[in-house]
Amino acid sequence: MRAAAVTLAAIALLALLLPLVLPWGHADIDWNAVRAPAFTPGHPLGTDSVGRDLLVRVAVGTRITLAVALAAALVALVVGVAWGAVAGWIGGRVDEAMMRVVDALYALPFMFVVIVLMVVFGRSVLLVFLGIGAVEWLTMARVVRAQVMTLKQRPFVLASEAAGARGPAILTRHILPNTAAAAIAYLMLTVPQVVMVESFLSFLGLGVQEPLTSLGILVHDGADDMDIAPLALAVPCFVLVALVVALNRIGEGLRERMAA
Amino acid sequence: MPAILIRRLATAIPTLFAVVLLSFLLMRVAPGSPFDSERPLDPAIRAAMERAYGLDQPLPVQLGRYLANIATGDFGPSLVYKDFTVSKLIAQGLPVSLQLGGLALLLAALLGVGGGIAGALRPGGWIDRSVSVASSLAVALPSFVTGPVLALVFALWLAWLPVSGLGGPSSLVLPVIALALPVAGAVARLTRTGLAAALAQDHVRTARARGIAPVRVIVRHALPPALIPVVSYLGPAAAGLLTGAVVIETVFGLPGLGRYFVQGALNRDYPLVMGVVILYAGLILLFNLIADLLYGWLDPRVRG
Repeated sequence: MRAAAVTLAAIALLALLLPLVLPWGHADIDWNAVRAPAFTPGHPLGTDSVGRDLLVRVAVGTRITLAVALAAALVALVVGVAWGAVAGWIGGRVDEAMMRVVDALYALPFMFVVIVLMVVFGRSVLLVFLGIGAVEWLTMARVVRAQVMTLKQRPFVLASEAAGARGPAILTRHILPNTAAAAIAYLMLTVPQVVMVESFLSFLGLGVQEPLTSLGILVHDGADDMDIAPLALAVPCFVLVALVVALNRIGEGLRERMAA
Repeated sequence: MPAILIRRLATAIPTLFAVVLLSFLLMRVAPGSPFDSERPLDPAIRAAMERAYGLDQPLPVQLGRYLANIATGDFGPSLVYKDFTVSKLIAQGLPVSLQLGGLALLLAALLGVGGGIAGALRPGGWIDRSVSVASSLAVALPSFVTGPVLALVFALWLAWLPVSGLGGPSSLVLPVIALALPVAGAVARLTRTGLAAALAQDHVRTARARGIAPVRVIVRHALPPALIPVVSYLGPAAAGLLTGAVVIETVFGLPGLGRYFVQGALNRDYPLVMGVVILYAGLILLFNLIADLLYGWLDPRVRG
């Protein structure tokens, strides 16, 4: 898990700092170096088919991918915690009905639902993360509900109930803080999933739009040029896979620590 | 078994209906119109076109007609491929996609179950460890990364296989591998854990003690219960293969459903997107149903 954390920190730092240091912006065109090969002076990784510096594009793309992933995971966190906590707290028929909805949504081909949302509401970054967040909250709701159900029986909750505290107060003051550990562990597992979904959509041209860029767009552009510039494919692929593996490792590590 | 089948159908059919309803409503609230173009259209022509496509009727009427048409397999005209109905496009793309998906599912099952068994036989051995590393890598690699990378290495550098397009069996090799890898990884993990647990159970110990050949013990006694988690993964696997196929068909230029779906989504070809989504949802529900039937076959306790 330490190696994973170091990898993640290194990728995030490079993504944040490189664009500040490098002379090019992600959309700047160097007319003197269109399709420059790697190790050209001034363009360590070369440039793409319209002369944009690849290194800065990978850094900015990683930034966007991470930003979208965080935002979408937060949407999933808010919706999932609210849904799961209410279902678990009220229990009975309401719980049954609310979890049925979750089951039904699980059966949906959610990637296609996101794509339909993109088609309908146009393609914008805001929608990308709202859409992904809206479909990734299901497992979070289940995790939180299970937590709330066990917490409900705990003596300190029963005590505050006996002391006359109202339901919503108990829920926000006593129960939700105690679900935080599990929710955060699961949040860390949601982030790599969202990274994958976002890259998938952007790869198909349905996610983040030019001139903005993301790892998915870079993989797509790299695949178009792979016969002349293999690095343009290899670098974003490598960053993406390293990012997903590191995030998964951290998430799984956290979850095990919570369970222990 | 009929009871469980009926119970599953009772949830599957409303789910499918919800998919139809949801995509229908979403498409109708969508801003913009398929008749929008660079120049504003003459209102009379627009009205005529809306009448031709039945878009001037009230919503419930449109929905009712759409449902009735779907029931007869008619998904309406494509708005972009002017000479084609959506059903015709689906009929063209579906065989390619089914071939690709079926072969990938087969390969994933063979690789995954085989790898899982090999790993579980000697827990902690070198086979076990390499299978475990390979499967976690396969799961983490998205198909839009493996696809282009495989194409780069095996088609462009080594020139063993064609880069893209459909022509003969060799053109399916790379797409099938790229599509199967993540599923194979997940299946290997599930088989490995399931088999390790099953091998520790009493009935397997008894079978061994009775002197039944080791291969027979595994195939007849340990494997069926170990495969239950694998079977329950069938539904998600179908979803994964379908989404993967969308990318793989785009990368390798195969004229399958997924490519039509992406084209439809990029062109806002509503009927095409809806038709494919409904078909996909139906396929995924079907796979979940098959998984439920397989349970009963693998685990006598569920038959009841």
